[in-house]
Amino acid sequence: MMVATFANHYGAMIFKKKVGTGCILRPVPRALSSSCGTCAFFEGPFKTEYVNENLEAVYEVQGEKYNKIYEN
Amino acid sequence: MTISKEKRNLAIAGILIGIISIVLVLLGNPKNMGFCIACFVRDIAGATKLHSAGVVQYVRPEIIGLVFGSFLISLLTKEFNPRGGSSPMIRFCIGFMVMIGALVFLGCPFRMVLRLSGGDLNAVVGILGFAAGIGIGSFFLSKGFSLGRAQKQSIVEGAALPAVNVLLLILFVAVPALFAFSEKGPGSMHAPILISLAAGLIVGCLAQRTRMCMVGGFRDLFLLKDGTLLFGFIAIFVAALVMNLATGNFKLGFTGQPVAHSAHLWNFLGMVVVGLGCTMLGGCPLRQLILAGEGNSDSAITVLGLLMGAAFAHNFSLAGVAGSADSVGGPGTNGKVAVILCLVILVGIACAKTFKKKEK
Repeated sequence: MMVATFANHYGAMIFKKKVGTGCILRPVPRALSSSCGTCAFFEGPFKTEYVNENLEAVYEVQGEKYNKIYEN
Repeated sequence: MTISKEKRNLAIAGILIGIISIVLVLLGNPKNMGFCIACFVRDIAGATKLHSAGVVQYVRPEIIGLVFGSFLISLLTKEFNPRGGSSPMIRFCIGFMVMIGALVFLGCPFRMVLRLSGGDLNAVVGILGFAAGIGIGSFFLSKGFSLGRAQKQSIVEGAALPAVNVLLLILFVAVPALFAFSEKGPGSMHAPILISLAAGLIVGCLAQRTRMCMVGGFRDLFLLKDGTLLFGFIAIFVAALVMNLATGNFKLGFTGQPVAHSAHLWNFLGMVVVGLGCTMLGGCPLRQLILAGEGNSDSAITVLGLLMGAAFAHNFSLAGVAGSADSVGGPGTNGKVAVILCLVILVGIACAKTFKKKEK
């Protein structure tokens, strides 16, 4: 499972559209950000074609830990 | 951290904040006003002579504490992150309008919950308007509304508002003659300075750690079907309700409520402005103070918009007038026109920032 964080809700919506089925928008986990924005959970792999200008970072979820694999 | 842990932390923080709010009332703050970001920023605008309404002038240490508490805890946890440049002028204007809506209702979302916990049923009308405003804002978000991405800023930029707050506190304590202070009315009612400051610091830390935001709660509920952030305010309500019942400060009804009016339409529309504006800003007035403490200069600009909105609200008689035995109170003609104008302008900004966007 992977999670992508965004600068705003619009970025998350565009991301979800590109990833397609299996991508779920949720509030961003507190462990990832002090902002209360929207993030996208999706099954990997992460592809650069998913990137939009409002994408901040992509993490791999490992239990309760998040490993950053991409930063925009 | 799992969602359930977030709910638990929000509930604990909410209970503490609810208790602190009522303790502040018991120690001198106006009833149902242990905390009110709109009222307290308005009082600071009065104390610094930006307006001359004699009954609402005081340098509220709670506001200083909120910003500085968030600043300190974000430094300690390495979450201090100076950023900004996301439509600052539009944010200033929205902050300005949010304050007008809040002062027509006579309270921010935080005080709305505290008013409800004191039995003030006018707050129910406010909550309906607030939710309606967030619903409208959520519609625009779902259609692509954005004020643009914030960029990294210098530490000096991020620390400017916390530093201004410290300077204000030093001047308030060392040279109080510089400021105007109410001799009667809500501005004259306050808890001791050190206790107010400590309360602000604690609540600032708790709100930063838990991301407490009532706008975010409703927005997530509408857009993502997730009400996690609402847990904090539900906990504040329950804790404050229990404290009010225990201390004899609970009085159920529409009339005779402290610093409140029963002009229902304007309570509703005032909070529509607050709900819509705050959804566009990405957080309620409390959240703007907390984000400003974390180094977000967009939120700092929004706080200045709130301050200026408060000054205009009182200089141009836009704020609601509290009800009395003879009158339900409410805003005058100026205030009613201002609320309608704010709604039209907010929807106009939302349309302009939603429907001309190109997908990138």
